[in-house]
Amino acid sequence: MHSLRFRIARWVMQHRGLAWVVFALITAGFAMGLRDVELKTIFSDLLPEDDPYVQVFKDHPNFGNPLTVTVMVRRKSGDIYNPETLAKVWQLTRDIDLAPGVDHDQILSISTEKARYAEATPFGIDMRPLMGDFVPKTPEEIADFRTRVDKSPGARNFLISGDSTATLINATFIEARLDYGEAFQFVQDLVEKNRDAEHDVYLAGQPALTGWVYALESQMFGIFAVTLGALVLFLVLYMRNIVGVVTPIVTSAVAAIWGFGLTGWLKSPIEPLLMIVPLLLVARSFSHCVQFTERYYEIYAEVKDRTKAAEITMGVMMAPSVLGIFTDIVGIFIIAIAPIPAMDRFAMFCGWWAVWLIPTGVVLISLLLASLPAPGNVARLVGHDGQVSGFQAFLKKMLAGIARLTYGKPARVTGVLVVLVSLAAVYTALQIKIGNPVEGSNLLWEDSEYNEAVRQINSHFPGVNTLEIVLEAKDQLSPSRVARQAETAATRAALQHIMESGSEPPRATLSFTDYIMEANRLMSGGDPKWLPVDPTDYATNAASAITMVGSSPKAYSHVMNFEQQNSTVSLWYQDNKQETVDHALAAASAAVAQVGIDHKTFTVRLGTGTIALQQAMNNVVKRYHWVVIGLLNLVILLGCSYAYRSFAAGLLLLVPVNLSNFCLNATMHLLGIGLDINALMVAAIGVGVGIDYGIYLLSRICEEYHAHDRDWGRAITASLTTTGKAILFTATIMLVSIVPWYFLSELKFMADMGLLLTLVMLINMVLSLVVLPLLVWVVKPGFVARKDLFVGEGVDLSQFANTGTDAERKAPAMACA
Amino acid sequence: MHIRKYDFDYGRRMLLQKAAVGATAGVLAPLWPMIGNTADNTKAYPDELLSIEMHTKGKIKPGDVITKDNVEHVAHLLDPVALMHVKTMGRRINIVESTKDVTKLYPHNYLAATLRNKGKAKLGPDKNVYFQNGDPWGGGMPFPDAKDGLEATANLTLSWGRHDYSQYAVRDWDIAPDGSLSYQYDFVWAELNTTAREDDKVWNGKKDLLRYQSVWFTSPQDTAGSSFLNIWSYDQRKFPDLYGYFPAFKRVRQFPTNQRFEPLVPGITLFLSDAWAAGDPMLTWGNYKIVERKPMLGVIGSRNFMGGRGGSMDNYERPVHGGPKNQTFHDVWMELVPECLVVDAEPVGYPRAPVGKKRTWIDVRNGMYVAYNTYDRRGEIWKTFEPHYAQYSNDKLTIKDESGHPSWSWVGVLSHDLQANRMSRFVQAKEVTGGYKSTYSTGGVDVYNKYLTVNAITRLGAV
Repeated sequence: MHSLRFRIARWVMQHRGLAWVVFALITAGFAMGLRDVELKTIFSDLLPEDDPYVQVFKDHPNFGNPLTVTVMVRRKSGDIYNPETLAKVWQLTRDIDLAPGVDHDQILSISTEKARYAEATPFGIDMRPLMGDFVPKTPEEIADFRTRVDKSPGARNFLISGDSTATLINATFIEARLDYGEAFQFVQDLVEKNRDAEHDVYLAGQPALTGWVYALESQMFGIFAVTLGALVLFLVLYMRNIVGVVTPIVTSAVAAIWGFGLTGWLKSPIEPLLMIVPLLLVARSFSHCVQFTERYYEIYAEVKDRTKAAEITMGVMMAPSVLGIFTDIVGIFIIAIAPIPAMDRFAMFCGWWAVWLIPTGVVLISLLLASLPAPGNVARLVGHDGQVSGFQAFLKKMLAGIARLTYGKPARVTGVLVVLVSLAAVYTALQIKIGNPVEGSNLLWEDSEYNEAVRQINSHFPGVNTLEIVLEAKDQLSPSRVARQAETAATRAALQHIMESGSEPPRATLSFTDYIMEANRLMSGGDPKWLPVDPTDYATNAASAITMVGSSPKAYSHVMNFEQQNSTVSLWYQDNKQETVDHALAAASAAVAQVGIDHKTFTVRLGTGTIALQQAMNNVVKRYHWVVIGLLNLVILLGCSYAYRSFAAGLLLLVPVNLSNFCLNATMHLLGIGLDINALMVAAIGVGVGIDYGIYLLSRICEEYHAHDRDWGRAITASLTTTGKAILFTATIMLVSIVPWYFLSELKFMADMGLLLTLVMLINMVLSLVVLPLLVWVVKPGFVARKDLFVGEGVDLSQFANTGTDAERKAPAMACA
Repeated sequence: MHIRKYDFDYGRRMLLQKAAVGATAGVLAPLWPMIGNTADNTKAYPDELLSIEMHTKGKIKPGDVITKDNVEHVAHLLDPVALMHVKTMGRRINIVESTKDVTKLYPHNYLAATLRNKGKAKLGPDKNVYFQNGDPWGGGMPFPDAKDGLEATANLTLSWGRHDYSQYAVRDWDIAPDGSLSYQYDFVWAELNTTAREDDKVWNGKKDLLRYQSVWFTSPQDTAGSSFLNIWSYDQRKFPDLYGYFPAFKRVRQFPTNQRFEPLVPGITLFLSDAWAAGDPMLTWGNYKIVERKPMLGVIGSRNFMGGRGGSMDNYERPVHGGPKNQTFHDVWMELVPECLVVDAEPVGYPRAPVGKKRTWIDVRNGMYVAYNTYDRRGEIWKTFEPHYAQYSNDKLTIKDESGHPSWSWVGVLSHDLQANRMSRFVQAKEVTGGYKSTYSTGGVDVYNKYLTVNAITRLGAV
């Protein structure tokens, strides 16, 4: 038999030297790209770029304080009006000014000159810092300070909590100078240093979150090492010979070099939060190599010639290997259809890595097997000496038991149960909620220090859950500075009024209009009746000018851009639960419609801030969840149908993996976990990688069907007791690589990925062992009877038995079973 | 050539030694007697400190343009920010011959007063500058041959513009990090000394004050009329009073007196503290020390008058280049300054100052600074305030002062907030919006009541 794959196998073995050189050169080429590999979380790249909210965010990144850290100092007993707490705030404020990359113009606390109060004097209006050049110490000084605070509504609302037990220090960083890791470490050290018996100190804000993620990502290398170590140990214990251990390691390492090297050459940063997927690929490569090697042992035991055995193994395993890897590739590449740049890049990285598993897992592995010394324990490995361990016997018995459930009379009961479970799973899965809100960040555990800080700050201050409605100038170079014109100011005020007077209003609102109204009041003598600004450009401009004088526009960058063209209305909400998000967006939408989107000089855009961006993530999951699954099904259906020359085969294979996905979603729903971006990725990988089990089993059933005289029951039993073992092995090795992440990662995002992947792989395994044979039994598909399937792994080895040694290079005739 | 008996680095080596021992200005001979006698500094320095060509061993000569490709030859002659500008932001610096005639580095009357009063100044027990008899200081530099950082800073502080009255019509452009124009302002800056005056007399009996200084904006329309008044005490330990006026509200607003590290209006990087590298009363800073004496490149010659283009820039504005949109830097003509004091000081009087240190490079020949950097409290450079000066005279035009001699003043400034990467560049224009012109004398006008009182700034604000 001289099919193309056997001709390729023979050619490679006849030109092993050349093949080695080609592999060496390609590997060296990719290795040169390794120096440019960059592991980097780009947070904005985790957002779906085609979402209107994300587009507003990208057009106006300053709104919502993305570069500001917030430190909250809370007095455990009593309030902050005591010398000790005030001194602590003073010193912390001074110390934060030493943080690397901090903008010295944008540090705000009750001890900075920027926190001011106003007094009328004979010379006009006197603007003074709340705190003088020293920390109030005596009761009189503290009482005086308190009086000043009462005259400063800004400080009362945003710097000191309503119960006076807590105060905030805000420090904004300069993006071009900000090293998140360094800045976070500096501020976190200060926070830890300042905690004592009387004070809690909390740190929140996007730079702090980024810092935490970076710090925790460094754990990743440790977990990686643990996992890789476990994989190698597993391999050593399983194989117990050099070739069996070295081959998977070298093959996987070369694929990894190619995978990482390509991203280095492309200078495309790798998202470390998703690094569990490459590890899955390593495990996948290991598992594939082990099965390839085991097949090699079987063949070697017959032909007694390393090169010939490697050649035959390559010819036999090429098609099922390529098909298995093809489904992985499809699963990973399809992630890229979600319009999330980080995932696009990641899909490219992992997708190409998976592609590299084909040349390394088919050709390189064969070269290695042909070159490495043959194992001395082949006979035992293939069971020719009749030795079967107790564990193996147990496995065989268990698998035979499972097989028994899938044909004959028991199959009816199993079938009914499977249908019932399926219906329940589908129903439950469809109840799953979109979104997985955590107060703070979903990247971290709920009880993490960061999320606790967010909770504390939210409970004392307007907090961090904001929705921003942006008023965007039509002419960014308008000489009249659109943000300080009357219509713009009035629109902001109207939006605030509508939102505040609606049902379930935000807990606070803020816009530049608030600042100019306050300036107007102060400059007009201090009476609150002077808060409203005359609705003329002249008056609004004047109030804006007085607001801005003596400070950099950077001080207002949370509500207006530097050039005073674009501005925002910030709305604070008590939490980010989906009901709150839905209500906030609906109310904001209605408010925007009421004031009108299009104005003469500006457009009202909804919106940005954490609330809108959370919804953007939910929207992308909602939009792409079914698209991803549907597309995967289609591509895999076509691929598998082609491989088995049967549409029915494709359909049969897809049933268990889709059912697995429903079971996963149902389990998540029962565990109270919502569908989020992790689930989207897991669904794609789960189907792509999970279908391998089905392919192994179905191919084996095809073979055994002929070997057992077209007896479905025996064919299924034989398949489950042989390939079923391989599936168990593959599933185990996958779980070895994934499970540690759930237990070891302090990053919830990674741990969740680990948990969900573990669940989907387990479910996939069970369903492939039960549902697929059951379906085969029920359907009894015709393609199983065909003998021309290129995915069949069978080969008639008897004609090669004892035909020669390594030295002999006779071309044997090979035939597919 | 008597200089040949010294080896090439003799001048620089001598400057290093002098910095260590607090010696007088000059390398081959003391500078100040020569200035007093001939106004020529050539005999005080070896050729390598007077000729850029000799200094760089022929690598750079007058007429050359410094770019990133040749800046390594003069890197040690630039402050770190100017060097960064050339290396990374596309800045170009034209090189001209060094000025040998020291009279071209001063207003005539100020140099005359400096020579007349040489040796008469002392630092009192309160560290303020007085005549030996205890009277407030009069005309000229009190310490022309400054021996320490405080003396050198006193020379900068007491008479900023080196005229009893200066009025600068200023046009400012504020450049964003992407090189685009963020803001543009026209404003007028007026300063009237009540003490430290050329005639050694106290103006209107105001011996407790040093100066009145005001600034009022005339463009754009939304800022026009905003005005500020600083009243400086003679006692340099006290903070100036600072008032602001805003025409729409017809109200004067008093600012915190120690709020000197903030811009006056949005977009500009100039802090009050930065003016003349001595924008704060000198005793509100401390720990003055001369850390080095060295040659520098400075924008000090008359080639810089009228934009430096042979008088083609009628309003004294300057051609620009460099940065992302080719408009970040002024064209300037630098020359080798043979000896500069490098003076460090810290803002000891400001418990909340975000600035950790300022470093000023001061030309010993006229006591004026040629470069000024501030550092944050981490020790990282924050801002530069690079001044450009000229004698107001070229082959097309000479502006004469009241004494009949060519005027001398600043012509432009690059104020770069390095950390935020925002550049304010401004020029002393001939005239700005509102018809205000630059001038260095009162011209018989009652400038005090017109520009320099609380009432005056409310009138300036009338629109």
